[in-house]
Amino acid sequence: MEEEQFLESIDPELAEFIKAKINSFIKWDILKILNSNPHTVDTAEKLARQCGRPVENVIKNLEEMVRDGLLEIHLVAGIPVYSLPKDEKTRQLIDKFLEACRNRQVRVRVVYHILKSQEVRLGEG
Amino acid sequence: MERVKTGIPGLDEMLSGGFYPGSVNLVEGAPGTGKSTLGMQFIYNGIVKFGEPGLLITFEEFPEQYYRDAENFGWDFRRLEKEGLLKVIMTSPEILKLDLERVSGMVEQAVLERGVKRIVVDSITHFEQLASYPTELRNLEYSFINALKRLELTAILTRESPTLLGGEMGAYPLSYMVDSYILLRYVEIDSRIYKAILVLKFRGSDHAKDIRRLEITSNGIEVLERFEGREGLMSGTPRRMAESFVEAFIRK
Repeated sequence: MEEEQFLESIDPELAEFIKAKINSFIKWDILKILNSNPHTVDTAEKLARQCGRPVENVIKNLEEMVRDGLLEIHLVAGIPVYSLPKDEKTRQLIDKFLEACRNRQVRVRVVYHILKSQEVRLGEG
Repeated sequence: MERVKTGIPGLDEMLSGGFYPGSVNLVEGAPGTGKSTLGMQFIYNGIVKFGEPGLLITFEEFPEQYYRDAENFGWDFRRLEKEGLLKVIMTSPEILKLDLERVSGMVEQAVLERGVKRIVVDSITHFEQLASYPTELRNLEYSFINALKRLELTAILTRESPTLLGGEMGAYPLSYMVDSYILLRYVEIDSRIYKAILVLKFRGSDHAKDIRRLEITSNGIEVLERFEGREGLMSGTPRRMAESFVEAFIRK
């Protein structure tokens, strides 16, 4: 089944959000942690420990998440730290995404989308 | 002098009314003795009983664990956060230290914008990772304490005790720098474990000198009566007074 079709049964705003911004399991993990602990402000190393993922992979994902507006980056005495954005609309969308993922059908669709995205990324070399 | 009440039954009486405003207070204990609960209760009571917004800083436990634990005591931390009266922040010790040092950091902003008066740092033990030498740690903690005082926050710093029962009560450098030092301990009496609380130090104030029983109930911590007729409580395995009297004066 094509990815486009796979996501079409989801709320269009959410489907667009997933297509545009969720292309790795690490991003999903980071959003889960930060959404459940919304005032977290921490370094890439500590966030990597919190999700139990390699720090180099987490850093790459954090950079993309900042670029996509999913996270904010602040410098504390030159050290980069990450947090959820202050923007209420983005926070609500993240919450909506994670809430939707509690449904197995949606979760399967998101997993499929991520796997397809990773195939594309690997193909791009 | 004005006091900052903890609102914890029995504890304010041990502290002759509560902590001093803008003081930094150390609570040390083994896992499960009630350090984090004491901190959460101090923050919760501050908000709902005394109208003082609070900050809870965690370095290791996820905030969602505090939300869950607080809920078990009937304290709705999520609601208090939504109302802007509480923030449970997870961060790293080095970030908190640097944040406190800079102008308009997240803690300073919370003080200025939300009127935060109380802070709990759970736990200060993590600062030990930042220093290679004892003198470096002491300087770091000294600077951290002064930053909290500059913001006029009444603070509780928790510290993990390395031993479960008793253990050596060494002079940990931070205990010299803080305004008060509260110890939580496990005590074994007649094959049962009890929790004990002792106010070891309270700079510039009278305080209870006895060791009292502490219980964690469905409403949070309650400080109960003193342990009667025992000695050596802080060793974890106290003896009846009579036995020691016999040992000391009769068997000799």
